[in-house]
Amino acid sequence: MSVGKYHIVNPNEGFPLPDSHKVIVRVTSPNGGSYHYSDHVSEGHFAFQAVESGDYMACFFASDHQPSSTMTIDFDWKSGIAAKDWVNVAKKGSIEAMQEELKKMFGTVQSINKDMYYLREREQEMQQLNISTNSKFFWLGIFSIIFALSVAGVQLWHLKTFFEKKKLI
Amino acid sequence: MGSGLRFGYVSPAFLLALIISLRSICRVSALSVTVNNIECVYEYVLYDGDTVSGNFVVVDHDIFWGSDHPGIDFTVTSPTGDVVHTLKGTSGDKFEFKAPRSGMYKFCFHNPYSAPETVSFHIHVGHIPTEHDLAKDEHLDPINVKIARLREALEAVISEQKYLKARDERHRRTNESTASRVIGYSVMEYVLLAGVSTLQAFYIRHLFSKSVAYNRV
Repeated sequence: MSVGKYHIVNPNEGFPLPDSHKVIVRVTSPNGGSYHYSDHVSEGHFAFQAVESGDYMACFFASDHQPSSTMTIDFDWKSGIAAKDWVNVAKKGSIEAMQEELKKMFGTVQSINKDMYYLREREQEMQQLNISTNSKFFWLGIFSIIFALSVAGVQLWHLKTFFEKKKLI
Repeated sequence: MGSGLRFGYVSPAFLLALIISLRSICRVSALSVTVNNIECVYEYVLYDGDTVSGNFVVVDHDIFWGSDHPGIDFTVTSPTGDVVHTLKGTSGDKFEFKAPRSGMYKFCFHNPYSAPETVSFHIHVGHIPTEHDLAKDEHLDPINVKIARLREALEAVISEQKYLKARDERHRRTNESTASRVIGYSVMEYVLLAGVSTLQAFYIRHLFSKSVAYNRV
């Protein structure tokens, strides 16, 4: 689960946002699918359920500004456990608020646990990759020695028969 | 795992895209930014004396033509304009500092070379209520301090995990490129060897051919 909110920060407090301060926003999945697209807006939000793992991109495009100016965008993008909607209990110090805090922490701990498994898995995969690269190096090295010797042998044999044919040897 | 951040950029006469990407959303999330020259991220610190911690890893670091790119520079500027923390020429590091005052802090990555680098970063602002806060706000219970400490400890674990994940990603890229390079270079080596020895044989034959006066040889 992933939620995002963005808005262009008003450089002059109290005055309306200038019309030129608009952006095009596009959120894409790792395989290129578009999860969100907004044309010429100054604020917006998006939410989606991630189907695949990989790099998700949020791109902000600004059109030509004459003279060039700086735009500040306030962008809040949360995913996983942080995106979960927690019941917002107003009064701090009440039992419900503390319960919510502890529930949040329990969720966090669970996600830490999952992440540790993920890291372990990835480490194992990398170990496999390294072992296979190691053995590839070994076999390719042996093969390259054999190949070099055989190429030299073929060359010598070829030249020998060539000179014998030419009656030079 | 979420961060409210602000970033500013100058839009020149061309269409400019600032790319913020989130990596592996199913289990990981670290924001990453592609740094062409300078990219800055802003994070608001609510209270004086908050601990700001985080890490960043340059994911593209060992790019194809060798790792003579020394790394990127990282600077943290306080709202008053002085530099609070700086790291130079590194390919990734953790950082932690106590924010002297509240306000908008600027975290800048500077890439001194022309090759764009993707930086995966995580910033966390942690606040633990102090005695002063407890005195001010009657709703705050001492247990909130303990809960805040616990939460900060968990955030430290999460931060470390993100760092490890980003480094793992970089190592994986290096290893995958090594594995594919092994095959590529070996095949190229064989082809070159065969080609050179064939050329050699043909040249020697040519030296002894009838068109060249071979009794000279």
